[in-house]
Amino acid sequence: MSGRDYLGEFEHIIVLALLRLEDRAYGVTVRQEIEFRTHREVSIGAVYATLNRLETKGFVKSHCGDPTPERGGRSKRFFRATAKGVSAVNRTQRALHSMTEGLDLVRSYS
Amino acid sequence: MTSQPQIVQPPRIAVRLVNLFSSDEEAETIEGDLLEEYTHITSEHGATFARRWYWRQTAKTIVHLAGTAYRTAPWSTTSAIAGGFLLRRLAARFVEPAIFAVIDRYQIFVHHFSTYRFLASTGIDIGHILVFLFVGCVVALGAKGREMVATMMLGLIFGAMAVTAVLVMVSRSGDDAFVWRLTWYFADSFALVIGGAIVRTRRSVATARPAIA
Repeated sequence: MSGRDYLGEFEHIIVLALLRLEDRAYGVTVRQEIEFRTHREVSIGAVYATLNRLETKGFVKSHCGDPTPERGGRSKRFFRATAKGVSAVNRTQRALHSMTEGLDLVRSYS
Repeated sequence: MTSQPQIVQPPRIAVRLVNLFSSDEEAETIEGDLLEEYTHITSEHGATFARRWYWRQTAKTIVHLAGTAYRTAPWSTTSAIAGGFLLRRLAARFVEPAIFAVIDRYQIFVHHFSTYRFLASTGIDIGHILVFLFVGCVVALGAKGREMVATMMLGLIFGAMAVTAVLVMVSRSGDDAFVWRLTWYFADSFALVIGGAIVRTRRSVATARPAIA
């Protein structure tokens, strides 16, 4: 198993956001979901840079929606996680769990 | 009849900057996303807050787009930058001889001394700016899709070289007047980026133009 089968921290967060949002996942909702849950300001550029990278790796798929008036006639690009992407999330979660298992992070490092 | 949602226009320069740094396909989606959120934030928190948010998003987005553009094709971008560096060295040699050839040809020294003084000093600096503009266009033509990253990186290289050279000259001679030369050197770097922006804009317009059947 190579390092490419695991997700980086932000990639991990993005795929989890896609899974939460299901068919409502596009740039704005993904950005807002991450800000709401992680309390960190995220730029739309960072979201798209990561989504494009994940799409190249085959972890997500995208399709364009219809143009809407509130976006000045521009269309949305919807994303969804692929089976390969979900496997990568599980693998990364298991690796993180395995690494933190038995550690008392609160008591040891506070 | 249904009412259309009120669209608030975001800062034009910020929109333009995002356009320059993103690919044509990306530009539409990113612009749409930013506009949608901007309209919502304006109605919730007011125009000043929304404008500040838009600029912050623009700055961060540009950094990410530039980084991605370079990482997707590092070798071709580096080649375009190196080619631009060599082209500038080659072309810069002809600026002074060309200006003095014009001065000699039209006997400017004899008939218009003030014009001669301008051409022999500021004229040479302007000539160098035009060379940088030309180099910026050539680099952008060679770095398709990464025009802004390539020209900005080359501009930063020349800017850093100019600062180093001026610091060395000031420390050796003790003459602070060299520091003022930096304004011209920075103008050279800026001209490179303008060259990149011109080519990028021309390409975007050509792509957006509807096909004639």
